[in-house]
Amino acid sequence: MIKHQERVKKWKLATEKSMQRFPERKERFETSSKFEISRLYGADQVNYDIEKLGLPGEYPYTRGIQPTMYRARYWTMRQYAGFGSAEETNKRFRYLLQQGQTGLSVAFDLPTQIGYDSDHSMSKGEVGKVGVAIDSLEDMEALLREIPLDQVSTSMTINAPASVLLAMYIVVAEKQGISPDKISGTIQNDILKEYIARGTYIFPPKPSMRLITDIFAYCKEQVPKWNTISISGYHIREAGANAVQELAFTIANGKAYVDAAIEAGLNIDDFAPRLAFFFNAHNQFFEEIAKFRAARRIWAKLMKDTYGAQNPKSWQLRFHTQTGGSTLTAQQPDNNIVRVTLQALAAVMGGTQSLHTNSRDEALALPTEDSARIALRTQQIIAHESGVADTVDPLAGSYYVEHLTDVMEEEAGKYLEKIESLGGAVAAVEQGYMQREIHHTAYETQKAIEKGEEIIVGMNSFTLENEVRPELLRVDPTLGEKQKEKLKQLRNSRDEDRASARLETLRQGAKGTENLMPLIVDCVRDYCTIGEICGILREEFGEYAGV
Amino acid sequence: MNKKIRVLVAKPGLDGHDRGALVISQALRDYGMEVIYTGLRQTPQQIVAAAVQEDVDAIGLSCLSGAHNELFPEVMALLKERGADDIIVVGGGVIPWEDIPFLESAGVQKIFTPGTPTIETAKFIEAAVHARDGYTVSIGMEPPKKIDHIGIAVESLDEVLPFYVNTLGLKLEAIEEVPSQNVKVAFIKIGESRLELLEPLSEQSPIRQFITKRGQGVHHVALGVEGISERIGELKNAGIKMIQEKPVKGAGDASIAFIHPSSSHKVLFELCDKTEIEGGAS
Repeated sequence: MIKHQERVKKWKLATEKSMQRFPERKERFETSSKFEISRLYGADQVNYDIEKLGLPGEYPYTRGIQPTMYRARYWTMRQYAGFGSAEETNKRFRYLLQQGQTGLSVAFDLPTQIGYDSDHSMSKGEVGKVGVAIDSLEDMEALLREIPLDQVSTSMTINAPASVLLAMYIVVAEKQGISPDKISGTIQNDILKEYIARGTYIFPPKPSMRLITDIFAYCKEQVPKWNTISISGYHIREAGANAVQELAFTIANGKAYVDAAIEAGLNIDDFAPRLAFFFNAHNQFFEEIAKFRAARRIWAKLMKDTYGAQNPKSWQLRFHTQTGGSTLTAQQPDNNIVRVTLQALAAVMGGTQSLHTNSRDEALALPTEDSARIALRTQQIIAHESGVADTVDPLAGSYYVEHLTDVMEEEAGKYLEKIESLGGAVAAVEQGYMQREIHHTAYETQKAIEKGEEIIVGMNSFTLENEVRPELLRVDPTLGEKQKEKLKQLRNSRDEDRASARLETLRQGAKGTENLMPLIVDCVRDYCTIGEICGILREEFGEYAGV
Repeated sequence: MNKKIRVLVAKPGLDGHDRGALVISQALRDYGMEVIYTGLRQTPQQIVAAAVQEDVDAIGLSCLSGAHNELFPEVMALLKERGADDIIVVGGGVIPWEDIPFLESAGVQKIFTPGTPTIETAKFIEAAVHARDGYTVSIGMEPPKKIDHIGIAVESLDEVLPFYVNTLGLKLEAIEEVPSQNVKVAFIKIGESRLELLEPLSEQSPIRQFITKRGQGVHHVALGVEGISERIGELKNAGIKMIQEKPVKGAGDASIAFIHPSSSHKVLFELCDKTEIEGGAS
């Protein structure tokens, strides 16, 4: 050991001497979170504590939540898709399943996400644009036609009206003859990050948290294989946060949901195993891997030590990953395939449970079928050709990665303390704390790019004079009218008295404290629309106005 | 004195992605503008009402949801209805190239695609507002590099040349005729610049008219520039009147154009681009 230290000392001296002739590219190297990166990492920076790393499938899960990881089964390749009508999206889903995709992921249009029917005045121009338009059970039936709901797992990016979409899914399964305990999937259901970063909130925090804990309680009894929430750092990162902010704010939000559920009288081990997470895979390869590993360790400690959960499933942080949409450039869009490959590789090295790879043309429009296929093929190449999935946590023991994992945990801890001191995540959101932190980082990033301190290939360096403009996907502009027509017919053909009675019962429920999920399932079954259901809740709960 | 430019940054429709809107708001503020940000989920009616009430010079619309083709033109139509269509409107977000001509024909002045530096947007808004208000300010482009030459109107070259060459000891470079201006020109080299002595060749020559009106003497100052066509465009955008709206061939094969003295406080300026003659932009 002494001998080795002597050698390192000599190496440092020799290196510093040679640097006088060959200086380094910059004075200070840093990660996206502004940690300084050393020239070299060695055994002296890393604390090889087996307790801290654990073994795969063992607390604190730094090395992954399963003992065999991808040697047993690859991550779920789950491409987020949805546009236009339910029928069109159903076609894309069946195409993706045929191409070897193993799970569905539904993108909804903005009116659906904000609880407006397609014929609402606020829906103008938005129907079917960023996802599929769902007004009633009828649309959901068309969306899932001929897809065996007991064989695929479905992730739905839906937050404020998550109860309504989950209710629709349950009823469609019922109609296929599949009982709720056989279906599996995820609803995003993460309202806090909507206030912070994504913007599709409806109700104020308090009733929103109630809707969420109602779902936790309902699914525990009725839909036990459903992931009741996907606590999302993804959008926080897209809004401009750095890696440590993404990590810390996500964990802080997770804590807030756990607190709310406990306050609602739930037992931690009854709902914690169904909590899922959703992270971004951004550009800085090693920092991202460290972020995923640190996330597992932080969550495991929190659940076991702070909350006293007994079930190991409660300790495990399972997560979905999507590559970073805001890293894509509109310029030279084919370069994005390479960015996505590196980001996807980081997610896999970090032990993700499922993955969405972005398409090359997403800075310009929704992806075309060709682009979506290349994105899926990227995952398949990583899985089947690169060999990275053949051993568990291959980067463990890397001086650098272990050091970064420790730093991520430590720095996230500082943010968590700060948020705690503000009264927890809900209070911090209401004070605009996270929003300000994120905006500050976003603006710094923009300035660094404009000054050329941060190089974006094809955009601020290595640019082309004459860009080739790719073919883009167009959404049927008449869809809004078609959805309106469908709604009109629905309102004529359904049993109007039953529908109104269901809505009235929901109103009474909202005034009280009972679990709203069964009431929403009843509404949906009798073809109440999402706008009607959310309309009642808007009247009872009020609307969030932003900070 | 120019007052601060006021800009309304708005998020029409249901789109919740406000990173871009927030970043551009701060960048415009840092550039010296006053910025009002509407927050999320604004209808075109709300945006136009806010713009009118806040008396803004410009509106920046941000939309990443694909609803731009419906919402942006609606904002334009409502502005017109309210008689507020002198407000400059620009847009950004995830907007496919092929939609840009449609949006511009609806009256949006410019769409900024992803990757546009914020400073470019700020300068565009500033120039557009100044052009609307008739300010004549230098914009966008590099300032002129040097005084290429000073033009002096003379009755007769033969009469004045001895003063320049013999008395001052300057070097006569060349004498040539410029048919487009009906003049005979002598170039006298002085440092990196020149004196251009102009003798009228006919009664129609502008130099003859000048001498008749004001006598012999300094006629114009020529500014050495690059990219003369673009510069003429920028100057016109800024409300400057040009005598030639397109460059013409001047002495020494330079591309030239004159700024109308009514736009330049009575001094006649010539833009003179010799980049192509001197080997072009290398």
